[in-house]
Amino acid sequence: MLKEITEFLNKEVAGCNATLKEAEVGDSTIFVEASSIKKVCFALKDSAEFDVNVLQAITGCDYSDRIEVSYILASFTKNIEVIVKVKLPKTGKNDLVKIESVCDVWKAANFQERETYDLLGVEFTGHPDLRRILCPYDWEGYPLRKDYEVQKVWQGLEVNPAHKINQEDHDFMTKLKLSSDNPKIVTGSWEGHVSPELLEQLNTKMASLKDASSEE
Amino acid sequence: MDQYNEEQEKLHTDLLTLNMGPQHPATHGVLRVEIKTDSEVVAQAIPHLGYLHRCMEKHCEDVDYRGVIPYTDRLDYLASMSMEWGYSLAVEKMLGTEVPARAEYIRVIIAELQRIASHLMYFGTYAIDLGAFTPFLYAFQDREEILRLFEEISGARLLYNYVWIGGVWNDLNDEQLRRIGKFCDKMEENMKKYHALVGMNKIFRDRTANVGIISKELAYEYGATGPVLRGSGVEWDLRKNRPYGYYDKFDFDIVTGKGEMGQVGDCWDRYYVRVFEINESIKILRQALDGIEAGPIMGKVPKIIKVPEGEIYLRTECPRGELGYHLISDGGKKPYRLKVKSSCFTHTSMLPDLAPGQLIADFVATIGSIDIVLGEVDR
Repeated sequence: MLKEITEFLNKEVAGCNATLKEAEVGDSTIFVEASSIKKVCFALKDSAEFDVNVLQAITGCDYSDRIEVSYILASFTKNIEVIVKVKLPKTGKNDLVKIESVCDVWKAANFQERETYDLLGVEFTGHPDLRRILCPYDWEGYPLRKDYEVQKVWQGLEVNPAHKINQEDHDFMTKLKLSSDNPKIVTGSWEGHVSPELLEQLNTKMASLKDASSEE
Repeated sequence: MDQYNEEQEKLHTDLLTLNMGPQHPATHGVLRVEIKTDSEVVAQAIPHLGYLHRCMEKHCEDVDYRGVIPYTDRLDYLASMSMEWGYSLAVEKMLGTEVPARAEYIRVIIAELQRIASHLMYFGTYAIDLGAFTPFLYAFQDREEILRLFEEISGARLLYNYVWIGGVWNDLNDEQLRRIGKFCDKMEENMKKYHALVGMNKIFRDRTANVGIISKELAYEYGATGPVLRGSGVEWDLRKNRPYGYYDKFDFDIVTGKGEMGQVGDCWDRYYVRVFEINESIKILRQALDGIEAGPIMGKVPKIIKVPEGEIYLRTECPRGELGYHLISDGGKKPYRLKVKSSCFTHTSMLPDLAPGQLIADFVATIGSIDIVLGEVDR
């Protein structure tokens, strides 16, 4: 079915350059040129053969050099599901990447695009009301980007204040590991938040264990 | 008289801005709707979301595949079992894990019980929205039995962490299965009573019929799913149209709104769909109780789960609509990206289109009828 849709898109929309990326596991996706996304959406919605009448979600994923925006579409009359993707090259840390809005095609795009703008920093040109939707209106940065850092102060309030963090809790698993003969059987989930001294102790212990096992 | 007209022309009239929420019983959680009213008539409604935003999608990138399940619990906290099942299915599809037959049956039983519990919650709170208190007590009495059972098998009343990747965590014993059978019989009788008491009530009908009409075209345009879409007269149910789990083995009907009390797609139709879906769930439960057989409840899953590189979009039919998980993996121990497509979020986006021209009281009825849970909206 996806092959037919790709052929249809290449025939219908000039210059959309639709390519099918076939996956061994999971779902296959169709990549199109970012400049032709609106035409592609209109073509899919208006086609009598596929009748893609529902926009389920607009979402994205950050791959350090580019942001891939996915349009998850479906037809409830023909029972089709298709993921259309575009690649948008990323420039700077907090720079917006731009793509045309599809609000004219489906009304559902309104909130979905606002969410993608809020969390990933994708600017949809032509959107009637592009504001943040889940984060506060004056929040800085785009949380779902991989290089995101939480801002230190928001509206005069300290974000993640040190006295609110229970360091003993975070260190608990590491202490268990240090006391155990076989630290590998302890699987802790707070590894990223351990205090530096304990982490150093653990690293030396792990290194010595490794040496011992390699000597044997 | 002339003087009066002059005075009136000088009078400056304006729309009144009201904040409905974030702490308002009619919004079912922390939703703030900024409404502009012309006396009692709503002229414009702007939903403001995010009061419960935890960015769970970012949290999920920081824990391993098993660790995500408790986060999914907290999406729609009134239907946690369904949330867990959707995520587990997505990972199982990527891993190619086979789930044992008993676990599949248990999952269906659990999910249908959860659907009944969730629809009962809707039934009770919706009646409260419209000013009737008693149905709430009836609904909670029945819901309590389901929650007690869930507590026995999982240890928690709301956030279960019960459906695991590859199967389920705990087995159901014969006594519990018998209890579910008995509960089905009781529930079937009760629903007849409740529907006669609430759905056929004159006041309830007047408050909900021809209110908040969502046409078929509008539902498609906004991507509505679940009872909202079926209330608009569309026969679409993932359990039937794109079966997952063992749903293709069961015989049941899709309930759709027929516009019995007014136009198709009004609040009454959505009420009708939910209440009669409980009966369909009971049908499925009975078949599942007949079909369940002894066997293991956990499939073969590696100790450390590493999902092969790729992506999947998997949707399941939850009580409030379709829930989709878009999982992207880079071959590591943690999800590279997990997007949750929430039906409640989609349904909330319909409010600005439904509100204009409604009375404020009718707008409350409309919000109640699309049955949103803010944990899922804000994620």
